[in-house]
Amino acid sequence: MLAMRDKKDDLDEFHLEDDAFDHQDFQLESPEAPASAEPAINQPELFLPLHNPEAPEDDSQLEIQGFEKPVYALHVEGVQQAMQFHYANSLLESLEAQGVQLPYQCREGYCGGCRTDLIEGEVAYLQEPMAWINDGEILPCCCVPKTPLKLKLKG
Amino acid sequence: MAYQTFNRKTFDTFSQPMFFGENVNVSRYDTQKYKIFEQLIEKQLSFFWRPEEVDLSTDRKDFANLPEHEKHIFLSNLKYQTLLDSIQGRSPNVALLPIVSLPELETWIETWSFSETIHSRSYTHIIRNVISDPSAVFDDIVTNDYIAKRAQSVTKYYDDLIEGVTYYQNLGEGSHEINGQTINISLRDLKRKLYLTVASVNVLEAIRFYVSFACSFAFAERAKMEGNAKIIKLIARDEALHLTGTQHMMQIWAMGKDDPEMGEITKECREQVIDIFREAAEQEKEWADYLFKDGSMIGLNKDILCQYVEYICNQRLTAIGLDTIFPTKQNPLPWINAWLVSDNVQVAPQEAEISSYLVGAIDSELSLEDFSDIEL
Repeated sequence: MLAMRDKKDDLDEFHLEDDAFDHQDFQLESPEAPASAEPAINQPELFLPLHNPEAPEDDSQLEIQGFEKPVYALHVEGVQQAMQFHYANSLLESLEAQGVQLPYQCREGYCGGCRTDLIEGEVAYLQEPMAWINDGEILPCCCVPKTPLKLKLKG
Repeated sequence: MAYQTFNRKTFDTFSQPMFFGENVNVSRYDTQKYKIFEQLIEKQLSFFWRPEEVDLSTDRKDFANLPEHEKHIFLSNLKYQTLLDSIQGRSPNVALLPIVSLPELETWIETWSFSETIHSRSYTHIIRNVISDPSAVFDDIVTNDYIAKRAQSVTKYYDDLIEGVTYYQNLGEGSHEINGQTINISLRDLKRKLYLTVASVNVLEAIRFYVSFACSFAFAERAKMEGNAKIIKLIARDEALHLTGTQHMMQIWAMGKDDPEMGEITKECREQVIDIFREAAEQEKEWADYLFKDGSMIGLNKDILCQYVEYICNQRLTAIGLDTIFPTKQNPLPWINAWLVSDNVQVAPQEAEISSYLVGAIDSELSLEDFSDIEL
């Protein structure tokens, strides 16, 4: 305060509106927000993981020569678009990546939120589902196709 | 007839129904009649968490800055959840343990109830953190009409069953004169009471909790009360498992193999169960009205919450093999799923912020990028 009082008032003040100042002078420096690497696929609902699970993974260590990853056609009742299961870790991920929205909660087979009717085909469970499943139903969150599938969503 | 803490009879555990068979004697888990209950126990144990692991320091500041009507929404939901978990922390034990006949189911009921007591503890943890006089909140739970009304419809089935089972175990089946009143006790009637109790618990865990969950997550979507949302996320994970437990009990009964009488009762009570669902949905909608009486919160209002109740009600009905009762087909709050997911993506825990690894982690780091959209 003492130092302030020593100064002559008229020398110490300035006005933001002064022409001497450019608007730029008051801008904080900040790095550009990184542009997202991939344009998001049509994604009205959040889901995990954030990368596209149906995109091939570029990891030579995961590839075994001579063993191609099988591809199975997926058909969901009421969805015209041709779909397939190829790279995803679960049927649920694959469907989501191709624009089919299913209800979900736990994503590991104990809540039963993603319960779906299996009309044709066969699936293999990656872990034993704990939620109740009726005959003809599957839990896409913890299974992968063994054959081409025909599905019917609930609701 | 009277309850035996250790049944001396020799009998085949595998031939016992889930309830109203022989009292359990040896708690053995090497073999099970229904291995699902053993799996549920293991899953529930693997979920173990304590509220104190979650850091709530920013919530205190957030709460102080909330407008009054949002404080009302936040506290009212906490009150209601406290009530629900107070009930669930003891009632399955008191009502179901005296009549259960399978060791794995007995232990599941105990594990289930215990995890509800952790939920109750976490509400105390949250309330103690945000306001200076927790008694004002806790006392209101008993006197608040809006809460009491819903409490009544949750507890009446439990109380009915407990009363009936007490008479049955003391006096057996038949017509009894008690305090000048004639009371008829039949096993069939008790089984019906049991069925309705489990159905109403199913509704409690399937629908009643989710209105509060939605509000907590709506706060967190705005980066408010995030510690609270972390706790609610853990609670939601447990509740989804409990829901699976009651769904299994109801479906096992519906098949009729466990206890043919329960199979018949399932058919007889069909309409009554749908009515329990409908009543719960109506009460939750009224509750939404009460929550938002002084104003909505950003991202959530009465109409959307009511639609969500209908949507979730339909979903739970189909899960136990009943038809939907509401027209709502689409989830009106799709962002909720991202909050309900149990964070089990297969990446190394140190690479990502997985809440199961860093149980109470809140992102409190600040970088220059966070200011990138601020201009002076």
